[in-house]
Amino acid sequence: MSSFDQMFQRFSKGFPKGSIIFCEYEPGDNFYLIQSGRVKIVKIIGNIEKTLDILNPGEIFGEMAILEEAPRSATAIAMDRVQALEFNRANFEILMRGNPQIALKLMKLFIKRIYDQKRRFMILTLDDTQAKVADVFLMLAEKELPADRENDTIEFKATVDDIAHWAGIQPAECRNVINHFSQQHRVELYNDRIVIRNINDFDRFVKSRRKSKE
Amino acid sequence: MSPKSVFYKANSIIYFQGDIGDKVFILNAGKVSLNYEDIETGQEIHDLVKTGEFFGVKSALGRFRREETAVVLADSTVVAFSVPEFEQLVGKHGRVVLKMLKVFSNQLRRIQKQVQNLIHAEEHINPEKGLFSIGEYYLSNKAYDQAIYAFKRYLVYYPSGSRASDAIKNIETAESYLNRYGQGKGPDAAPQAAQPAPAGKPQETKQLSDVAQTYYKAVSLISQEKYDDAYNEFKAIVNSSNDEEYISKSQYEMGRCLFYVKKYDNCIRLFTTWIQKYPKHPDVKDALYFIASSHNAMNNGDKAISIFKKVLALTPETESLYQKARKALRKLEGEKV
Repeated sequence: MSSFDQMFQRFSKGFPKGSIIFCEYEPGDNFYLIQSGRVKIVKIIGNIEKTLDILNPGEIFGEMAILEEAPRSATAIAMDRVQALEFNRANFEILMRGNPQIALKLMKLFIKRIYDQKRRFMILTLDDTQAKVADVFLMLAEKELPADRENDTIEFKATVDDIAHWAGIQPAECRNVINHFSQQHRVELYNDRIVIRNINDFDRFVKSRRKSKE
Repeated sequence: MSPKSVFYKANSIIYFQGDIGDKVFILNAGKVSLNYEDIETGQEIHDLVKTGEFFGVKSALGRFRREETAVVLADSTVVAFSVPEFEQLVGKHGRVVLKMLKVFSNQLRRIQKQVQNLIHAEEHINPEKGLFSIGEYYLSNKAYDQAIYAFKRYLVYYPSGSRASDAIKNIETAESYLNRYGQGKGPDAAPQAAQPAPAGKPQETKQLSDVAQTYYKAVSLISQEKYDDAYNEFKAIVNSSNDEEYISKSQYEMGRCLFYVKKYDNCIRLFTTWIQKYPKHPDVKDALYFIASSHNAMNNGDKAISIFKKVLALTPETESLYQKARKALRKLEGEKV
């Protein structure tokens, strides 16, 4: 056991394999650092349990509870027997002062979330649904590929419901827009993925919409 | 490689918005402004960097494009760090990271609010309904453990919620399926839906749910650490109900309350009688754990040790109770040596 583990052992909690650590919609006031075992982050979308992430020892989850006691946005399930340090807003500062490496990890998570939320804001402030959907494509492209890609065609594992969620529109409305793009041969829609023929074309489209707003 | 000190002349640019960069900067001397547009108003903002302050942190650490243009207003010296150099530096200074963490958490809170304001009201699912629907999902997929967790949480947070009695019935269904068929197996369970109850025996169902509602209200009092209030509610159930299941559960919870308010003698007495009365109850090992812990708190080390050993013998190693008992036992035995 390292000195760090010893120091924080009193915050350690065990979860049997398969048990729920916290559940979507439950008010949240704790966050966790995994010591051993893996944790699956899932969300029930349209009656399907979707795995958003699989976390390994050393990773943090439930960290949004530090900011506010909002309901959990996803469910955390122990994939193995999990041992994790459980923290709350009260003992948070002790942890961070005693271990700047964890604070740094948390800082990176916050940075990523700020970026994601800003990007989401940009999408939501577009006026029409076509531009919103197109901008979601761009956001996904930014995540998956280096900035200066050579090939204009990209493919992502996303469904109409996912796109609708990010664009902040109804799934039916979203499907109409994607079907429209598909008729124009700009995208191909499959059950589990979407192929974009020319991402730069969408880039120009979104930029022009954003300009016309100003 | 070590961090480099760089001199910039007035009116030069350290980086442009949209650049890709992997350096974090700290302003040593001079005047630098970060220029960007506010995402809400589009208004051009100029933020002056204070001497000794970091900038370019988010884009470098998050590996995305610069979000602002760093303009040098007067001759300046800055130190440029690579990301590993920066991490090494702040990794040693908890206070610095904590300060930055606070800045970023404020930014995050702000942008989240801005996003929330834009999302239409229909996207907001009421958390009470949401939590119930998670339980329904797991129950209909035969994930009984998860269903029980979700419905129990529902009852803790919404003991008099509109679906509380359905949640109780669903827990009972999930528990009986779990015992009879095991996790992931068994017939399709139709979760208690919001339909009106069938006309069969309305009187009986209502009485049952009254007891259960009081019970879960009291359980939620425990989680709010109102042990005396909880104790009285449980006691009322024991005195007035004729539902053996809730009487046994309530007596058990009374024992827990006594432990939490440090009435160890009473706690031991109550659990001892309870175990004699319900020797096959699944919570017997937990009751023993409370008896042992009470002895421990009263410095009856030997008694505590022998009862903790009993707990270990009764509990599968995978349960957290086992870990707790083993830890307590080790500590006690360590003290004796």
